Amino acid sequence: MIKKQWVLAVAVLAVAFVTVAFVQAQGDDATASGSEVAYGPEGQPVAFPHNVHAGVEEGQYQIDCMYCHFSAERSPSAGVPPVSSCMGCHAYVAGQGPDGGPSPEILKVRGFWDRGEPIPWNRIYKVADHVQFPHMRHISAGVDCTACHGQVQEMGVIQQVQQPLTMGWCLTCHLEMGASRDCTVCHY
Amino acid sequence: MSDGIKRRDFLKVLGVTGAGAGLVGCSTDKVNKLIPYVVPPEEITPGVATWYATACGECSAGCGVWVKTMEGRAVKLEGNPNHPVSGGALCARGHSALQGLYDPDRLKQPMRRSAEGFEPISWADAEALLASELGSAGAATLFLSGHTGPTLGELMDGVAQAIGGRRVAYEALSEAPLREAARIAFGRDEIPTYDFEAADLIVSFGADFLETWGSPVEQSRGFARSSGVSDDGSKARFVFLGSRLSLTGQNADEWYPIRPGSEGLVALALAGAVARRGGNAGPYADLLAAYDVAGAAEAAGIPAGSLEDLADHLASASSPLVLGPGVAGQHRNATAANLAVLVLNAVSGAVGSTLRFASPVNGIPATPYADVAEAIGQMSGGAVRALVVHGTNPAYTLPTASGFAEAMGQVGFKVVITPGMNETAALADLVLPEQQPLEAWGDSSPRPGLWAIQQPAMRPVPHFDSRSAGDILLGVARALGADLGAETFHDYLRNRWSDRHAAAGAPGASFSEFWREVLRTGVVELEAPARSEAALQPPDRALAFDAPLLDGEADGLTLLVHPSSRFADGRGANRTWLQELPDPVAKITWHSWIEMHPDTASERGFRRGEIVRVASPHGEVELPVWTYPGIRADTVAIAMGGGHENTGRWADGRGVNPMALLPAEAEQVSGALVHLATRVTVEPTGRHRRLASIEGQSQTFDRPITPAVELGLIGELHGDDYGDYEQLRELQGMGGFVPVPTDGRPEDYPLEGARYGDYDPATNARWAMAIDLDKCTGCSACITACQSENNIAVVGEDQIMMGRDLHWIRLERYYETVDATQPGPVDIRFLPMLCQHCGNAPCEPVCPVYAAYHTPDGLNGQIYNRCVGTRYCANNCPYKVRVFNWYGYSDVPEPLNWQYNPDVTVRAEGVMEKCSFCVQRIRGAENRATAEGRDLREGEVVPACQQSCPAEAIVFGNIRDPESRVAQVSQNDRTYRVLDVLINTQPAVNYLRKVTFHPVKDIHV
Repeated sequence: MIKKQWVLAVAVLAVAFVTVAFVQAQGDDATASGSEVAYGPEGQPVAFPHNVHAGVEEGQYQIDCMYCHFSAERSPSAGVPPVSSCMGCHAYVAGQGPDGGPSPEILKVRGFWDRGEPIPWNRIYKVADHVQFPHMRHISAGVDCTACHGQVQEMGVIQQVQQPLTMGWCLTCHLEMGASRDCTVCHY
Repeated sequence: MSDGIKRRDFLKVLGVTGAGAGLVGCSTDKVNKLIPYVVPPEEITPGVATWYATACGECSAGCGVWVKTMEGRAVKLEGNPNHPVSGGALCARGHSALQGLYDPDRLKQPMRRSAEGFEPISWADAEALLASELGSAGAATLFLSGHTGPTLGELMDGVAQAIGGRRVAYEALSEAPLREAARIAFGRDEIPTYDFEAADLIVSFGADFLETWGSPVEQSRGFARSSGVSDDGSKARFVFLGSRLSLTGQNADEWYPIRPGSEGLVALALAGAVARRGGNAGPYADLLAAYDVAGAAEAAGIPAGSLEDLADHLASASSPLVLGPGVAGQHRNATAANLAVLVLNAVSGAVGSTLRFASPVNGIPATPYADVAEAIGQMSGGAVRALVVHGTNPAYTLPTASGFAEAMGQVGFKVVITPGMNETAALADLVLPEQQPLEAWGDSSPRPGLWAIQQPAMRPVPHFDSRSAGDILLGVARALGADLGAETFHDYLRNRWSDRHAAAGAPGASFSEFWREVLRTGVVELEAPARSEAALQPPDRALAFDAPLLDGEADGLTLLVHPSSRFADGRGANRTWLQELPDPVAKITWHSWIEMHPDTASERGFRRGEIVRVASPHGEVELPVWTYPGIRADTVAIAMGGGHENTGRWADGRGVNPMALLPAEAEQVSGALVHLATRVTVEPTGRHRRLASIEGQSQTFDRPITPAVELGLIGELHGDDYGDYEQLRELQGMGGFVPVPTDGRPEDYPLEGARYGDYDPATNARWAMAIDLDKCTGCSACITACQSENNIAVVGEDQIMMGRDLHWIRLERYYETVDATQPGPVDIRFLPMLCQHCGNAPCEPVCPVYAAYHTPDGLNGQIYNRCVGTRYCANNCPYKVRVFNWYGYSDVPEPLNWQYNPDVTVRAEGVMEKCSFCVQRIRGAENRATAEGRDLREGEVVPACQQSCPAEAIVFGNIRDPESRVAQVSQNDRTYRVLDVLINTQPAVNYLRKVTFHPVKDIHV
């Protein structure tokens, strides 16, 4: 009796390992949800402080999210601000660096602009390729940006907050809000 | 049982090991990048498609297209609904232009011949070399071009003139005999347009007007409108006379299997017979008197009585239309045959009504083969010192016997301007990478006054350092000191359009506004000089109408070399969508075959797939036999387009090029290359291959798959009548199999039993489709449209042979009545088979992981990330529309992956997939409607297949809305659902029966 259980255990383990190997071979993106290693904030090309731009404290500028993430209201994609958006202010606003001169981070932005190069940001949020996430539907339903992205206006360094970006997490909100829980709403 | 493994133990062990698997399952250190714009283009919103109107450059028909671009990348082509030619539809070849754009075998930079083959050189060096060579060759320069837009053609002529050389425009598929016949009969050196929609009797002498002849998309629309039965019960009759049923022939109501080459005699005899019934033969009365029906019937190998019947039909038809032999029937008396057909049109009263010279076809100034033969002579004789080839591939499309390759070797300097390598470029000294039509400026003018702009839909694909042919030519002209008035081809084009705008009386406010409007709509009608209709005039030369001479032994089989409906003359052979598109007639992919009547094959002991050696006096090829009841026993046929050698990884070495079997001979009168010229011997090689075919059965064995109905009996059909299947259903004895009757009324949905999962009949839509099989021509454009929209991978020849094709639509073709021995009704039925989105779907309950399930709006959902690949669903699907991705078929070489539609998941291996009713378009429309705070509009969701269908056979919508078109179309006596009467699957696809003129059996199912 016991022997048989061991045989079964070994057999199931073997199957499990094969399955894991198979799942991993399916592609990295599919298993990426919730991993801070994947989307860590280290080494962003420019140390962009969301709190300074969007924060409401003294000395912060209360810029609306959709001033920079310009297509969130009308597109599935929220939009990453083009360098020209940065330069709208930073052509004039130079900030202050530790040595009293212009901020070295803003100088980096001006450098990208002068060279005509895009800023290669590290991506923090990404749902798997088989998920369709239309930003505009969520905005028009009155979901606040912070519901998924956390208190970005308080973040000096942007990072993925506790939300694991798993389907269960999505569905919890969908059920609370009375949104569709049909698979083909997100998966096609 | 006591010493066995208990279920609970099994689950415990499974739980522990499963958790272990979970721990190692999720981790990755991959960092993704977000690359923003530096300065955002005004017209682009990330994630939202931007559309550009342009013109299709795949054939001379000049359809208008809309190109969908995402973040500056073209991902899909659709017909431009404002364009009078395409009317919103597009054929499979048009869709494949996207693969031409991203073809990884395109040239990466200019190449120059060196001792070891080709070496890359810079554009500056290439242009300097080109200018110096053309400058020194001067008047001994020959430009050899194919079909070009009118402005590029003018520029080429301008450059040729500036240098002192000349231009020959050669197209492999030329209508020179028809043109010459029109000149003789009507004094009009033009190709008329045909009004299929207005015709009530269509007679084709082998012209493949649904595939390659003329303007296929426009003609398909007109044909479907007239030949599809209308509400008042009228329907045009289509009679096909020819030795082989092409796809066009398969759509006929009657087939006269006449001997190849007898078209002229039969047409003249018919014209005489119609004249005797009251037709006006004008100056041809004497000629017609010399030809009688009995003689023509004898020559054609059919009974004389049948021709008299056809003459009766022609005489009594109110607007008949007769179509000439086409390219496959281009024989040594081709002009005479075309003339006979034009005379038959005139006698029957078609000229001026269904056949119109007042609006002729424009812009095919192609010179006949005779001019090319003359050029080849000059090349061999050393009179040509520099040769510029653009837009044509003579080393492949000319018969081997023409000696083009050898003659090209005698030319001092040869330059080929082409997007990718081809057989002609392989012989050149300099090869210049040309831009594809989707990234270059140009224009087209399919008929007088109708102008369409070809604008770049995206920046040139960065993998290839290419330039437009216009810019290359302007550069040469500039280097040689000629001023053509523009720096770039865009400026040149704009100048010429400005001239045309002025010549047409400058409509609109200003030219720049006019230009902006043209770029927006893609097409404009300018005033053109009025043209008169034509009247018969006496012939100015004598023609022989007899059956043409054929080379080869008298007991050989007559060889028909016809343009492929997928590749036309062979261009596009490196596009995997076209290679894997089953040929609409043979259902074969990826390779060539020879069509042979089953009797001929069995007489010689050939089986399907037997590889035979086909030999003519001019050459030989080896290819497998495909037996086909739709070809005369004395004829065999091979499609053009195979046997490439230097075109790319997917084209080279596949199939054979039948041009090797043809003589390099021009028809005496028109100068066109003769295609129907030789008999062949067919010998066994002793080898055999499995055909890469997707054809399962070609018979329905009386199962309720494609029932038809005779025209007069439509009113006797009833949706709840199950005819002979009553007994069968009782035998099955299972409650679940008793079908729920419906006539397709909106209030019938959801049907009893179709209430799975979340489906909420009170509030939700029931998406459904109606396909009118009386309109469907089997052209297969829907398959490629679907492939493009839904990122359907290509699996390759070996996988097709294992039955692993991935298409979401299968165009089934069933022979009901096909008789190649005598004239009579022909009944071949098409059935576009896609996921039926059953209300009572057999795939859903068998899925162990709920990957197949019913959505609240009545779709049969397939969730890729849930699917674990058990394939139970495919096994349980009675329609066999679920396909499985066995390997990583979606991994394609860069930049071919740019073709993928970002709105649809690219599926990995191990996942089942199938038609989704274009759910991404449904969700996209819902997103738009929500953003605008309104409900979905009727007609707002159009799946890719419906969008593309040239025959307008497909209608999609919410069948629970009584106002919707799909509900209205479905409420028809002809509506049926495939196999529903047997297994109560309650499909959402309502088919409308084909309507015949002859009696059919079992109309009740």
